[in-house]
Amino acid sequence: MDLLISSLSLGLLWSIMAIGVYLTFRILDIADMTAEGSFPLGAAITARQIVAGVDPWVATLSGFLAGCLAGLISGFMHTKLKIPALLTGILTLTGLYSVNLLIMGQSNISLLGRVKTVISLLPNMSTSSAAILIGVVVLALVIGLLVVFFNTEVGLAARAVGNNEEMSAANGINADNMKIIIYMISNGLIALAGSLMAQINGYADSSMGIGTIVIALAAIIIAEVLVANLSFGMRLVTIVGGAIIYRLIIALVLQWGVDPNNLRLFYALMLALFLSVPLLQKRIGQRRRRQKNIAEMEADQDD
Amino acid sequence: MTNALELRKLHQFFNQGTVNERHVLKGIDLKLAPGEFVAVIGGNGAGKSTLLNSIAGSLPVDQGQVKIEDEDVTYETVAKRARLIGRVFQDPQMGTAPLLTVEENLSLALLRGQKRNCWSFGVKKKQRQFLQEQLALLNLGLEDRLSAEIGLLSGGQRQAITLLMATLQNPALLLLDEHTAALDPQTSQIVMTLTAQLVAEKQLTTLMITHNMADALKFGNRLIMLDQGQIAIDVAGDEKAQLTVPDLLALFKHKSGQDLTDDRVLLS
Repeated sequence: MDLLISSLSLGLLWSIMAIGVYLTFRILDIADMTAEGSFPLGAAITARQIVAGVDPWVATLSGFLAGCLAGLISGFMHTKLKIPALLTGILTLTGLYSVNLLIMGQSNISLLGRVKTVISLLPNMSTSSAAILIGVVVLALVIGLLVVFFNTEVGLAARAVGNNEEMSAANGINADNMKIIIYMISNGLIALAGSLMAQINGYADSSMGIGTIVIALAAIIIAEVLVANLSFGMRLVTIVGGAIIYRLIIALVLQWGVDPNNLRLFYALMLALFLSVPLLQKRIGQRRRRQKNIAEMEADQDD
Repeated sequence: MTNALELRKLHQFFNQGTVNERHVLKGIDLKLAPGEFVAVIGGNGAGKSTLLNSIAGSLPVDQGQVKIEDEDVTYETVAKRARLIGRVFQDPQMGTAPLLTVEENLSLALLRGQKRNCWSFGVKKKQRQFLQEQLALLNLGLEDRLSAEIGLLSGGQRQAITLLMATLQNPALLLLDEHTAALDPQTSQIVMTLTAQLVAEKQLTTLMITHNMADALKFGNRLIMLDQGQIAIDVAGDEKAQLTVPDLLALFKHKSGQDLTDDRVLLS
């Protein structure tokens, strides 16, 4: 039961990040590495402010905005300076590592004790239940706003850019600006996830971003493999499911006795497996049809 | 307003300054009066696509000037110029966003040249009836498929919708880039007829590149033949109306001093 609840609370928070990654990954077809820098950036900004006594919600919002800024930098480098997307992400991520240390002044800030976080604002609740409550509320808000945004005039234009850049330009859409907007929203959400994660875990750490994009992508792929062809809004909802399932798998693996030091190897292997599932499914289907066809042709010859 | 389109001393070079340098457009001077429908023909490498891309903005202009409705657009991007230009590409996949619905694609085109904002929906319910009426004009039964993903439609249907998208906002200039070349003969004729109908109805100034000589003679009220980056033939009005394919070939030989030997142009 504990396992279920902790997987649920972690999954909800990770899915905020997964949704952020989804925007660049599926709308722009870019695996944006900036994610691994904006996640700890959100945590760093929020932790620094909370320790200084700033209201936790204000601190969380600044985390989100800092992420948007990181997205702006990557988006600018990719669109205006034409640096390849993967390299852009690595550049921002590397730079952010120093920025995060500068913000925190040390490599780790503890939020345990008497500091006020979004968790401690909810009295008489265990950390897990508070995390679940906050996760559900924030996710409902995020998904609702994203669905509305991507149906506005600008949102529709942004989707068109990811789908067919040439056509967008012919219809007067400034592709660069649309890409930058998506980069900003995406990294803002990722930083928001980092900010909430720091408050729930009770610390911010400069290395907490390592491997996070793999976790987010795994949640997306699980959602896509389990349910294909969905509308944008429904897809975001299934990503939440994907993230929870993924956390559950991790929790089971840990309980099964895998050394936590080996966890990232496990993350990577599992994502590689998930990414190959669609191809495997296709191959298996093909083989079945082929065998059926061979059997039919042989039966036909016998007649 | 005097000219819908004006090109002045337009030059284009590929690989300039290298041993592979090619001088593709050699000082094109061209004026299109409002409402003119010009068919552009020419062999491979004559510079047809380069000319169209220079006007659309997808190819930066090296030398010369491009004016649309007397506005200098020489240094404007494709997106900026789009307020004046409707464009249909050769590849039917290129003019629409495959994962968006028919209605979403049309709604995007309705906002061409306008500022897009975050506080109104991209697809507006009150425009639905108008879009359905427009689709009905195509006679392809698409008026009931507003919510279908465009990627699920055939090449001909997509091209017809692209044509509609390009003309919805009455552009100052309509650019057609061999827009029927990738379609089967029957669909190609349907789209061509539709084109003529839309251009006539909205009195659009149109520049149409084609490989099909018969189409070039049948449609439009002016014909231009490009050869080696220059305008070799430019006929309009009655003279154009009376022209036949053999006339055109003879004219080409007379003007350029050589036979027109491009199979693609001759056979179609």
